[in-house]
Amino acid sequence: MTDTIDRVAMYLSGGLLLLGIVVTGLIETLAGKPYGAAPQTNEAGEVIASPAIDPNIRTALVVAALLVMGLYAVYKLATPIEEDTGTAATPSTSD
Amino acid sequence: MSYDTKAATGTGFSFEVSGPWATYWVAMLRVITGWWFFHAGVTKLLDSGLNFGYAPMYLEGMSGTTLGPVATFLAGFPNLMGAMVPLFETLIGLALIAGLLTRLASFGGVIFMSLFWVGNAGFGHGVVNGDLMGLLLFVTMIALAAGRYYGLDAFVEKMSFVQNNPRLKYLLG
Repeated sequence: MTDTIDRVAMYLSGGLLLLGIVVTGLIETLAGKPYGAAPQTNEAGEVIASPAIDPNIRTALVVAALLVMGLYAVYKLATPIEEDTGTAATPSTSD
Repeated sequence: MSYDTKAATGTGFSFEVSGPWATYWVAMLRVITGWWFFHAGVTKLLDSGLNFGYAPMYLEGMSGTTLGPVATFLAGFPNLMGAMVPLFETLIGLALIAGLLTRLASFGGVIFMSLFWVGNAGFGHGVVNGDLMGLLLFVTMIALAAGRYYGLDAFVEKMSFVQNNPRLKYLLG
């Protein structure tokens, strides 16, 4: 059970992080200018091109990843520790 | 999280941190990250005490962003925010420098950096910018239990109180 939750937390948070940063970043780059998350403006300051993906979507994906990790931390706090052999010199593998 | 060659979760996921250079560098990252926040907090305290007026304005300006609802809610408590921002930045910094309650302090750092990263909208330097790197640094402090390397958490975790309540290691470490 713990292994499953560990795995889900790792894969889900990692997947959301990579999706929000790398995958959407790649799509944005391939979609042409602006290559970044900020709109492209002309000399008069008028927006001439907007990012292909709203930065709010990308930040939401990363925040969701953080929430998954936060929930995992709460879960670890709430459940009994299965094994504890940790010291400073040989850190535990249970936490 | 694991920092042993043996997978902590049996999932095959492992991250080896061994040898003096790895532990030295984790400790260095922790202290430098701590100094970053300590300096940001203590200079605000020196300038405006517990009345950092920009905090509620900044939060108010976050409306329309991913964390907009949370930020605008917090902006509704201007006096509290004006006191908490410099105080917690300073405390988080001190905790990381000393390596005491490192994971708890880093959790606070994650909250701060999430608000800084999302709130610094415009993303003129892209979504992957310095604020995101700072945010990831704090997550790294938690994942590696950075306080155990040349930090006070290494000593505190050996105390009987913590030994009897091992879950505290999730806040220390």
